[in-house]
Amino acid sequence: MLTVKILGPGCANCKRLEEVARKAAADAKIDAEFVKVADYNDILAYNILSTPGLVINEKLVSSGKIPSPAAVAQWMTAARDGA
Amino acid sequence: MQGRSIVTDAMSMILQLLQAGLGNLAAYLAAHVLLCLVPAFFIAGAMTALIPKQTVTRFLGRGTPKFLSYPAAALAGSVLAVCSCTIVPLFAGIHRKGAGIGPAVTFLFFAPAANILALVYTGTIIGPDLAVARLVLSLAFGIGIGLIMALLFHSDDAAHDHATDVIFAAQAERGLSGTALAFILFWVALLLAGTLKLGFLTGAWVEARLPMGGAAELQALLDRLVPYDAARGEEGVSVQGAMLVLLLLAVGYTSWLGFERIQEGWNAWTGAALALTAATLLVAALQVEAGTSGLAIGFTGKFFAVFAILMALAGIAWSRIGEEELRDWLWESWRFVKQIFPLLVAGVFIVGILRVIIRPEWVEAIAGVNTVLANLVGVGFGVFMYFPTLVEVPVAKMFLDLGMHRGPLLAYLMADPELSLQSILILAAIIGRLKTAAYVLLVALFSTLAGLAYGAWVDGSSLWQIGAAGALGLGVLSTALWLANGRLAHRHA
Repeated sequence: MLTVKILGPGCANCKRLEEVARKAAADAKIDAEFVKVADYNDILAYNILSTPGLVINEKLVSSGKIPSPAAVAQWMTAARDGA
Repeated sequence: MQGRSIVTDAMSMILQLLQAGLGNLAAYLAAHVLLCLVPAFFIAGAMTALIPKQTVTRFLGRGTPKFLSYPAAALAGSVLAVCSCTIVPLFAGIHRKGAGIGPAVTFLFFAPAANILALVYTGTIIGPDLAVARLVLSLAFGIGIGLIMALLFHSDDAAHDHATDVIFAAQAERGLSGTALAFILFWVALLLAGTLKLGFLTGAWVEARLPMGGAAELQALLDRLVPYDAARGEEGVSVQGAMLVLLLLAVGYTSWLGFERIQEGWNAWTGAALALTAATLLVAALQVEAGTSGLAIGFTGKFFAVFAILMALAGIAWSRIGEEELRDWLWESWRFVKQIFPLLVAGVFIVGILRVIIRPEWVEAIAGVNTVLANLVGVGFGVFMYFPTLVEVPVAKMFLDLGMHRGPLLAYLMADPELSLQSILILAAIIGRLKTAAYVLLVALFSTLAGLAYGAWVDGSSLWQIGAAGALGLGVLSTALWLANGRLAHRHA
């Protein structure tokens, strides 16, 4: 079970990132729990300069852009197999 | 009978207002948007997607000397922060983990003013003089306000939590690549070729005639549909304008299908949308006149320049830029369009209606002359009216046409994007109420001064007089701050 956090105050990019991440998890058949982080203090704790940020099992994998579903699936698989 | 005539009067009034709104919208879309806003959206997208943030942010760490961190903060504002999604985290980051309150405030102040979309739009619709004044004065005041804030709250800054500035120390994994830079510069060239009013660009080099029966009738019909009064600064719609509005609709439709799911890959609609965009830009660069014998088409210098630059851009994008970066670029550009354009359309429509209602005498009486009161009114209006990005520009244009002086107009244009209820609330959450209050007061003060100074310059005062007055004001202000600061330091000691 992965914990996937979407960092962002709820702007268009954050919503799109969540869609992409959910789709990636569904396509790769990975069991994941999605958490939205909207508070700036919590977001800054991950040392990012621009939203949206994507955190998988507490590790920041991307920030400031929307990765492709394929890339997200790859990170998720790596996190699941590594854990 | 009486009742019915009131009803018909009201109906015709509403009809007239609707027509004014639609007319304004059609005129804006046809005349202004294309050659300035379309490239500007693509530039904004390229800046967001292709410039690695570390190239600028590594100058924003704690250890960076002031003479580097303040200009870097301003630079970061101009290239990284086209969208509020970037502004707030970056501001909070600079404030908490990086260079402190001063550069953070400089960044916050300068970002909306140096926003490429706003500058280009102001320059095209109101005039390059106001765009340049807004840019230069915002830069000077942004750094000034940043320095004052740092001085006022220096004890807070010193007691700052000793968070590591690891995010700012990070070296760029890869710098700004030459290709990305060339790509952005070519877009800027496209923008300039499309908007500059130079003889060799606007003049026609080759003329062609397109025999089209009814061209003149079509123009007459358009003039009836969108009646205009040139004396009031209103514009009509030409045959070319009508073509462009249709093309824009087609671009919008194909973009929706082509860019909305771009993360999942490129599809046929993506190509169609790009091709239609290029076609729209080319048509916009033509000179078209509807006469009795058909359409007279002039191939202007602008047309050839736009064509050559579009070819170069396609070449760079095709051979030098990776697929993922292209995707990011298209997505960011499209996101700006989606976020800003609908609000702009609605705003322009409403401005068209308001223009009929507001009497020029009112505007002239309040802000027709460059006085302190007029500038304060400009600033107050900017603070209390919240307009979405870019809508402040048609609003300003309306006031200008109705007789507002350019000084108060600049004061309004500076205050409006800087201060809104929304931004003040976010600011208070990050830096606290006291600092927010200080910031708001400083921005209001400096915007008023900017309007006064610019207005005086427009009215013919020499730069020396304005400079001397400015220096005197700054002297008084800094002395006061220095004294206040001394007392504060004394109390802390």
